[in-house]
Amino acid sequence: MTVQGILVLNLIAIALLVWIGNLIRRGRLYVGYGVIFIAVTLCVIIVLDVPRLLTLVIKMVGAVFPVSALVMLALGFIVFMLIYILAQLTMLSNRLTILVQTLAIERAEAQAKLSVGLEREATSAREERGHASK
Amino acid sequence: MAIETDKRVFIAIPTYNEEATIGDIIERVRASVPQFDLLAVDDGSEDQTARILSRLGVITARHVCNMGYGRAIQTAIKYSMRCGYDLLITLDADGQHRPEQLQAIFEEFVRGNWDMLIGSRRLGRRDSEGVPLGRRIGTSLFSLLVRLTTGKRIHDTSSGLKVIGSAVFEPLTYWHFVDFHAEAIVYLLRQGYSVGEFPITVERRTGGRSMYSTVSHFKYPLKTSLMVLLGMVQASLTRRER
Repeated sequence: MTVQGILVLNLIAIALLVWIGNLIRRGRLYVGYGVIFIAVTLCVIIVLDVPRLLTLVIKMVGAVFPVSALVMLALGFIVFMLIYILAQLTMLSNRLTILVQTLAIERAEAQAKLSVGLEREATSAREERGHASK
Repeated sequence: MAIETDKRVFIAIPTYNEEATIGDIIERVRASVPQFDLLAVDDGSEDQTARILSRLGVITARHVCNMGYGRAIQTAIKYSMRCGYDLLITLDADGQHRPEQLQAIFEEFVRGNWDMLIGSRRLGRRDSEGVPLGRRIGTSLFSLLVRLTTGKRIHDTSSGLKVIGSAVFEPLTYWHFVDFHAEAIVYLLRQGYSVGEFPITVERRTGGRSMYSTVSHFKYPLKTSLMVLLGMVQASLTRRER
């Protein structure tokens, strides 16, 4: 890989780190997700900047060129993150379901209690009227 | 002869945008089985359904947004657990099920000591007049899938008319189901619960829209088949946990 390519990738990685850090600081990105991105970005920087490591990664992946090795790893990471985010979304949806169901059940219960109360009141009013007429 | 029982029963009608039929269904249910309590689960309807239910004085568990049929059924089960009911009968709000058949299916449930009894449109019937070809193929396919995975023949796995006993309330809320159809049946059968069928007749949908769109006609079989397989795994894991 050319020095220029490594420099550009390093700059992009640093910009990403700053952006992620800022998002976490402002509460726009959950620290748990931010940590994954920071860890991966740091790994990429280390691999890029240590030539022996980069060669090792290329050999491990079975790629011919460093760029294709990095693209393969990036794709793998994107797929992993996609599944992870969808799992998190599902968890969120499950929590929302519980919330919606609990709210619905509690309202229905209150409605049922109210109608039982009204029924009782009506019955006792009828009984009282019956006694009074006697 | 009518069965005398001290069981606390309630009928749950999951509904979503069924303003055309819900009023009639409620009236007919009240006239047919006045001894049973009634709950409508309004799954975030955007039409006049909520207003009709309120006018009729029906106890309603209203989802603030649309969560889907399976979640609506689960809300009904959770409500019955919370209020200590012994039996839950689910009925579609689109006018296909005849409320007049509720007493008969309830009596069969008590007589047969079932854990779940399904109102079957296909049991003991050879004619399938008016049933779209796609649905016929789907029903046969899921029936076969249930048979292959459990050894039991269930003719109509996607019926919305079901009687559910309190013994299976917890298992049915313990895991997540798509629509409480084939996957729920397999899940219960694999855990040793008894699931049976009772023949019913259905009417053509008189109003509203089917919950199955063109896309879901393709998605539903795939989703349900996957859930049947995962339901088998989950059932054996749950058995082991017990």
